Amino acid sequence: MKPWRKTLVLCVTAAAAQMIAAQVRADSAAGVGENLGNALNPGGLRTIPERDPDSLDAWPDERTPTGKLLGWPDKLPETSRTQDGWEYHGQVEIGGMATGGNTDSAWFRRYKDLPTSGLYLNNFSVQAEQLEKGKGYFLEALGGGIGYRDQYEGVSFGRYNDWKVDLFYNETPHVFTNRYRSLWSGVGSSHLRLNGLPPGGVGIRNADGTMNATASQTATVAGMRSAIEAVEDSELSLVRETGGVSIDKYLSSKWRLIASYSREHRDGSRPFGAVFGGGGGGGSLEIPESIDYDTHDILAMLRYDDGTNSFNLQTNVSLFRNNIDTLTFENPIYASTNTISATAPNVLDPTIFTSGRYDLYPDNDFYNVKAEYARSMPEWYHSRLTATVSLSRMKQNDDLIPPTAHALSGLEINGVSAENNWNTTSALSRRRAGAEIDTRLFDVAFSMRPTDKLGLDTKIRYYETDNKTDYVACNPLTGQLGRLLNDGSGGAFAFPNTAAGNNPAGTLGSAYDAMGCNLNAVRALGLVPSSGASNIRNVPYEYSKTNIELGGEYRLARGQTISGRIEREQYEREHRERDSTWEDMLRIGYLNRAYQWGTLRASAEFGRRRGDSYNPDPYESFYSVSLGPEPTADGTNLFSWIHAMRSFRKFDLSDRDRLALDLRLDLIARHDLDIGFSGQYRQNRFPNSDFGRKDDQRVGTASLDVNWQPSAKLGLYGYYSYQRSTMTQSSIQPNGCVIGNYYYFYSDGAVASGSDPVAPARSGASLVDTVLVTSGNWHNQCGDHAQTSPLWTESRKWTLDYEDTNHALGIGGRYDLGFARLELDYSYVTGTSTLDYSYNANGLGLSSAVTELAGSGMPDSDYDQHILSLDLVFPISKSVALRAIYRYEQGSIDDWHYAGVSDNPVPTDSGSQAVYLDSGTQDYHDNSVGLLVQVNF
Amino acid sequence: MSIYSLLVSARAGGRLAAASLLALLAVSCTPGHPGTVPDESTHAHGATEVDLMNQDSTYIGEQACAECHEHAREHASMGKHLKVFRSNPSTPAQTEMCEACHGPGSKHAEDSLNRSLIIGYTRDWGTPIAVQNAQCQTCHTGGGQMHWTSSAHDRAGVACSDCHNPMMKNSVNGALVRSSVSETCYTCHQQQRAEFHKRSHMPLPEGKMTCVDCHNPHGSTTRPLLKGDSVNDLCYDCHAEKRGPFIWEHAPVRENCSNCHLPHGSNNDKLLAAPRPWLCQQCHDASIGHPGQLFNNSQTAASALIGGTQSARIIGRSCQNCHTQVHGSNHPSGARFQR
Repeated sequence: MKPWRKTLVLCVTAAAAQMIAAQVRADSAAGVGENLGNALNPGGLRTIPERDPDSLDAWPDERTPTGKLLGWPDKLPETSRTQDGWEYHGQVEIGGMATGGNTDSAWFRRYKDLPTSGLYLNNFSVQAEQLEKGKGYFLEALGGGIGYRDQYEGVSFGRYNDWKVDLFYNETPHVFTNRYRSLWSGVGSSHLRLNGLPPGGVGIRNADGTMNATASQTATVAGMRSAIEAVEDSELSLVRETGGVSIDKYLSSKWRLIASYSREHRDGSRPFGAVFGGGGGGGSLEIPESIDYDTHDILAMLRYDDGTNSFNLQTNVSLFRNNIDTLTFENPIYASTNTISATAPNVLDPTIFTSGRYDLYPDNDFYNVKAEYARSMPEWYHSRLTATVSLSRMKQNDDLIPPTAHALSGLEINGVSAENNWNTTSALSRRRAGAEIDTRLFDVAFSMRPTDKLGLDTKIRYYETDNKTDYVACNPLTGQLGRLLNDGSGGAFAFPNTAAGNNPAGTLGSAYDAMGCNLNAVRALGLVPSSGASNIRNVPYEYSKTNIELGGEYRLARGQTISGRIEREQYEREHRERDSTWEDMLRIGYLNRAYQWGTLRASAEFGRRRGDSYNPDPYESFYSVSLGPEPTADGTNLFSWIHAMRSFRKFDLSDRDRLALDLRLDLIARHDLDIGFSGQYRQNRFPNSDFGRKDDQRVGTASLDVNWQPSAKLGLYGYYSYQRSTMTQSSIQPNGCVIGNYYYFYSDGAVASGSDPVAPARSGASLVDTVLVTSGNWHNQCGDHAQTSPLWTESRKWTLDYEDTNHALGIGGRYDLGFARLELDYSYVTGTSTLDYSYNANGLGLSSAVTELAGSGMPDSDYDQHILSLDLVFPISKSVALRAIYRYEQGSIDDWHYAGVSDNPVPTDSGSQAVYLDSGTQDYHDNSVGLLVQVNF
Repeated sequence: MSIYSLLVSARAGGRLAAASLLALLAVSCTPGHPGTVPDESTHAHGATEVDLMNQDSTYIGEQACAECHEHAREHASMGKHLKVFRSNPSTPAQTEMCEACHGPGSKHAEDSLNRSLIIGYTRDWGTPIAVQNAQCQTCHTGGGQMHWTSSAHDRAGVACSDCHNPMMKNSVNGALVRSSVSETCYTCHQQQRAEFHKRSHMPLPEGKMTCVDCHNPHGSTTRPLLKGDSVNDLCYDCHAEKRGPFIWEHAPVRENCSNCHLPHGSNNDKLLAAPRPWLCQQCHDASIGHPGQLFNNSQTAASALIGGTQSARIIGRSCQNCHTQVHGSNHPSGARFQR
């Protein structure tokens, strides 16, 4: 056991043994809290307590100011007192639990870990205090699920209003799948080794020594199918183990120091993927990603508050460390390669690609300093000023890895030997990442109340990111611009276009290489590149965001206010389709809490986002398209020069009209009954988007809540939520745009191309138009959608409508039978996702068989889940009770992503193989029962 | 004698809800409706309008309060406030115990049914929210509460005591009105409760997170009360591996995680806003290759058994079968996130 963990365990154990101590509380302003709890104890401690029939000596059905019943408090615990003035009480709940059914189900176990059978310490808590005046010492502890993957423990001790130390340990499981059929051993490590299958697939040669691709692929597929058939389902999951300590010290009545350290270790594996070849892929397979992360978080805060002035100075350091820097996996598929070729007389044997290698998430460092100041000025219209400055830096300088681990002997790329030219970091333009993004936040807010009825506030917020990362995709050893793909099985390189007419006769394909990775020198050559779509350097995305707000509220009458707010949010982005977008917002709200029967809150918000001109391709300088002039030669396909359709709009940058409506009504139906109703409606309209996310995106939710608390014996609740959301998107399946080609458009939407100006006849359709693409017209002809656009032909448009419908229902309550206390909770959730598409089969060139299978949409994806929890506590004595637990869960799911995967994990017999090893989430039902002894002390 | 028995007669009959939601809405649109707004001349709560700070009431001490509120004191004694005040007060006000929060009680002791004479934190008592909150802020200002003023909850007229109740120990931490942070938030945020029960969700129902892991309900510099300077800064707290930066970045990923993910819950895997591959196709429609293709039901593994042609863009992890490093890649070949 690692020393720090040992220390934590000792602390927790000691605390429990001494029957004293623990809770850990997240600060509400900084850092991620560690909620100590689990599924059986979501609030940290769930013990089915007895309620106090005497309530608080006041009205038993008091409410919050909004009107929610406060409910019946738990009966006060019996406390004991030691001779030296410590008062303590606590409880422990331990017994046997068992679970039957589909206990391996990933859905059932996603974030929890219930025992299949055995002894189970469900929870414990201890609280001890020395409360005599001048003392104030305390010690608290709680925990649950001890020894299981969702366990949690916390200890807290200190002196009230003086100092406090918190220690905690918390585990969170995350089960991704239990239906993964692994072909490898070493899952969870840095090296996955195939169990029996030949790395690189099965290579079968023809009589002349060349590779017989079809026979090789067929044999490889057969081997993989057999291997998959033979392996059992296994689980891919990880556990987050987090432990930490924090110290909180009041330096004086005004100054306070808080410091904390936490370490999270994540260990396990999750579904991942790998592809070989290039472009559209030359074979893909699901591999397990190994996870072994450590994250260290250090936080220090100095706070000052004198009632008028408040000041926070905070510094935060977060260090992420990946203990598996690279993941090497043996490859079972026979890859379909591209770009790379054999140097005669060698033969390219794809079985040399025996393995692939990932550079997993790199170690990274994050530093933040934040200063906040607030001043209250009650003498000046009750005003208050708040100012915040926050400066952060995230950086990583990981050692980069070579593009491939393979020597690539006897192979070449575009006529340049690849042998030992790509398997060292000498093949990189830089050896380390040197990536850094700085962020800066400046925020000033001011509020005032010039009259008793009127409140005004304003705020200016500026946030920016500054990306300093710079990487050029060029191999200094060869001078080749571009990237070797997927361990050498593919490539995406920029070299001069050798098609006659694009460049001067005699232009060598290696002309760029001679410039030694000097992009300016390459550009100075003025040679048309082979393709316009090869990445030649990274894109350092960055942006700034400015918000300016002005708002106010006016009290109409006692308990009634109206409010209004206007805001402008402006983005300035680098290297995006729009340099600038701005959204103007108006919000109006109404609050009435003066009704005897409840509280009403309603608001409406309107937003209108617009921006400067939309450039569909702002990335030219980062792609090979920037290396030379546009091509002019017949036969050149221009689709890599036209990166995006002019009318396509990315939804995060497009014009948008937004409407948000909120209504909450909290009704006091009876003195002991609450009824709550809420409705939310969100609408995003994309008025100028013909393609991409378009039309109206809507989400509507309506909820009903009932809470009836008639007595300490009985309490019932229920809720129901309905939600429906819709979204529409469109796109065009691109065709082609070849200089010198004729494109023929037919009345049924079909489009064809050829070199003959006379269109071939098409059965059942007439010719609508013919378009010739030339070096002079392709920008117009192919840049945007049109009925007669060779590239973006209107008839190849498809539109998709997506609709989600959800119902969530919960009912439950408590009843004290006298001899036993009963609590019951039941929840039911169901969701249906419908996905319909429309298209022109002729335009897309789909066969009737494909059209029949494609239909008009995907099968509905739907799921439902029932969770029933029943608890019965039988008091035996003042300090001992028996608790019986019954929990039933049932889930069923249909997700077309996984339809047929279990039976058909390698769907293709030959060609590019695709290997699917995760069969997806399965239906499940589980019953858990437990009999536990509750001991209170 | 319980104070309840003194007061219960005044509340005989309780309150009945309006007949229907429509009626309620109609009434609510009429500010100042005489039948609904408390009549200060007749309503028992009206006199709370009196400025409590100008009273000449004096402190009477905990024991005097306990004369009527003994059982309440016992409950409150289980909470942090009275423990702190009792054992190690840090300000003169805290030494006043009950009156540290409720204000000086001498006038209240003389006229216990006059709601203007002491600060109450319940709806029935009727102390104005501004007065209640100001009283809490005499101690709870600065620190994590620095941005409360004009925050979303402040603007919505939320009272501290809508979420907190130091008089009862309902929760392990935070003196909440419900048993956990999440249950407390759900009292108003029912939509989020439904979303947290969807097929993919953050582990709130399983007790491994709460709303305050991401939000500071007491205010922050962001509109949705996020604890980070931006959405991404917040998400990186738990997903530090995705922080990078990477040599190959994905623009919408770097800018805002919520471009693709719904933070509370989704019908899609991985909290995605839409099913793959169409989520990716909402931005990707390149003229070359597959991004603009119509993917369809003929391409599932099941369809492949009956004559269809499988597509790795449809099955399983869809686009991420190949573009696995969609959050960013540090591999020299990773511009398309394939390594």
